[in-house]
Amino acid sequence: MRYHPRKYRPLLAPGLVLGALIYAAALGCEVSFDRFWKGIEVGGDLLASFFPPAWGDLDDMLLPALETLLLAVIATPLAVVVSFFVALLAADNVRRGWVRNLARGLMSAERATPDIVVAFFFIAAFGIGPMAGIIALALGSIGMLGKLFADAMEEVDPRLLEAIECTGATRSQVLRYAILPVVLPSMIANSLFRFEINIRSAALLGMVGAGGIGYELSQAMALLEYPRGTVAIAVTLALVFLTERLAGQLRQRLIAREHLA
Amino acid sequence: MSGDQRGLEVVDIHKSLPDGRAVLRGINFNLGAGEFLGILGPSGAGKSLTIRCILGLTRPDSGCVHLRESDGNTSEISTSSGRQLRQIRRKIGVVFQGFNLVKRLSVLENVMIGRLGAIHPLRSWLYGFTDDEADGAMAALERIGMGHFAPRVTATLSGGEMQRVAVARALYQEPLLLLADEPIASLDPKNANEIMQLLRPIAEEIPICGVFHQPEMTAKYCTRVIGIRDGQIVYDGDPALSAQQLRELYGQELKELQRDTSAAELSQPTWAAISSLGKG
Repeated sequence: MRYHPRKYRPLLAPGLVLGALIYAAALGCEVSFDRFWKGIEVGGDLLASFFPPAWGDLDDMLLPALETLLLAVIATPLAVVVSFFVALLAADNVRRGWVRNLARGLMSAERATPDIVVAFFFIAAFGIGPMAGIIALALGSIGMLGKLFADAMEEVDPRLLEAIECTGATRSQVLRYAILPVVLPSMIANSLFRFEINIRSAALLGMVGAGGIGYELSQAMALLEYPRGTVAIAVTLALVFLTERLAGQLRQRLIAREHLA
Repeated sequence: MSGDQRGLEVVDIHKSLPDGRAVLRGINFNLGAGEFLGILGPSGAGKSLTIRCILGLTRPDSGCVHLRESDGNTSEISTSSGRQLRQIRRKIGVVFQGFNLVKRLSVLENVMIGRLGAIHPLRSWLYGFTDDEADGAMAALERIGMGHFAPRVTATLSGGEMQRVAVARALYQEPLLLLADEPIASLDPKNANEIMQLLRPIAEEIPICGVFHQPEMTAKYCTRVIGIRDGQIVYDGDPALSAQQLRELYGQELKELQRDTSAAELSQPTWAAISSLGKG
């Protein structure tokens, strides 16, 4: 019995076409192995110029690092509150029809827009500084959190909602006693996750003028003070690492309590 | 109890699905003080839909449902909406097949939820329940022997225990009457019997109207049985139906019933079909 199919021939023509396409694209973009190796060489020399790190500049970095942290600390709860209300409009067991579709549409448009584009807009509006960063981060979070909150709300058993309604409760009481207790744990977990993302985003947004550690890094790079840049990168890594650990631990406690329930 | 006029009147209810199929074709019955009414019938006959019409969850195409209070005051459910409908719902306690408790909240909180209709929404958001309400809910739990469960997280309870809590929630609502939509369909025989034993004495104070799938249960505990087939009442009377009467009511489905098919399986598609009707 012949079991294993030996049918490579049909793959030959598409394979050749694909290979030719990749080669043509590489030529068009002036990508070549030559340049790759040259780049590695230059990059290696450049990397060496980052060391040793200028640890003496560490003091200059702590305040900007705190600013980056605060950016996320302010923006995330702000986004959580707004997202909760947007989710109420976007959950189809709370709101129906065009309101829900509009809320969902706005949120996916927001998700499709890179945070950095949002940041550029608000830097233009509010000027360079943390204010623009906070607004950009908060807006960037609403697209994701609002959708996740709304999805969690929609998953609540409609029979439970009907049962609570049958006691004569109003919609807002159903929300308070049937929807909120059910979605709260996932809301907290998602908010913590978004907080982690916002720390990283805040560092990145700093590079385009939203202040904080990212701004220090971009300044150091622009002035060719690479050892100083290394310190900024190290501080950023430490900040991200620490907040992720913290958020992870909080989440774990939440899940532990979940299992008790 | 001659002065007690509490009760329910269901008058000529008709309801068709969006595809035109008539599910309810003239349902008429009264429920009065002291009655424990069991509704029987094959799946898809319109039993649960009748309950939904009584609760105002589904609006009948024609006909009406009246709730009569002890002073003879009647309110019409089938045409009410908004605040008026909520006022009426406060007076009807309901127990469902799926218990429908908020699993993450404590047992006591779930019982207190029964009183939401009497609580201002602003208080629900800003303050919550009061000590008096906790006492009342505790009394309702103790009445059915569940007092020691009060602080437990509801998710940790068994099915039989959850249904008892649901009964306590309905009792704490202090309703004029109690509706039960297949309350024992998801329970094992032992728990099913226990719930029926719990409901029986309650019916003497608060009339109960329940949908059931086990004729032997209604024969044992109910004071009266209604048989619904193809959206019409084909039997109304003594809870003990003869074999011939059961055959006429259930038709083909009787064999499955005797094989003791899990009633939960029978009723799942019913709910899906009925809920697709929306609140129309």
